[in-house]
Amino acid sequence: MDNLRIPILKIGDILIASIQVALHDASAVQFKDDLLQKIHDTRARGVIIDLTALDVVDSFIGRLIADIAAMAGLMGARVVLTGLQPAVAITLVELGLELPRVLTALNLEKGLAMMQRMTSEESDDGAE
Amino acid sequence: MAQSKTAVIRSDLDIVIARTMARDMAKALGFGPIDQARIATAVSELARNIFLYAGTGNVTVRDIEKGSRKGIEIICEDQGPGIPNIDLVMQDGYSTSRGMGMGLPGAKRLMDEFDIKSKEGVGTTIVCRKWRT
Repeated sequence: MDNLRIPILKIGDILIASIQVALHDASAVQFKDDLLQKIHDTRARGVIIDLTALDVVDSFIGRLIADIAAMAGLMGARVVLTGLQPAVAITLVELGLELPRVLTALNLEKGLAMMQRMTSEESDDGAE
Repeated sequence: MAQSKTAVIRSDLDIVIARTMARDMAKALGFGPIDQARIATAVSELARNIFLYAGTGNVTVRDIEKGSRKGIEIICEDQGPGIPNIDLVMQDGYSTSRGMGMGLPGAKRLMDEFDIKSKEGVGTTIVCRKWRT
């Protein structure tokens, strides 16, 4: 069976992926691979992953998101997680997965503003 | 109003099916959205444990009553290799596989009651409950 592919959109040098359906493990791993490849292909400097539509984030997906943020970081791209529902935030912390090194924003709009602020600051610093 | 539903776990797709089944029943039994998420997440962890360690097994959810209290019970059964040292797997961060060591202790924290019985070479049964507040 083919894995479900999550569409990854590009706006300027930012990638946006909105996860709209419950991911089974293989689809989630596929998403990680697709996203890292797309960062490489597009030279994106930021990635926003929007989880507004997810009502369950278990330890597998939580850990995968932390891995994606670390891997994207190694490639020079920042990851901002947006749209976590209250119940998802509560269960993640109760599970013991606080994702301390993942940047977050309340919603996609705030995430995009945060990302644009970070990437423009880096440009001002003379970074590539 | 006794209800009982079972999902057979054979693949990672069945993990999603089992947790959706548990969430739907929790909702039907009157649990609020945060408890629905706790119950669905606990089932996801336990079903993944079956898939990773035993390969196949069953997850059953049913409604329960004790006096005036109503709740939900999750029963996870497999005929896998069993767990030689239960105290060890219940420690945070312990993992022998891709489970990241958060599955069982995490599921326990999300539920009100958690009981695990396992015998090497025979299998593992986990029964956990959450009561409606």
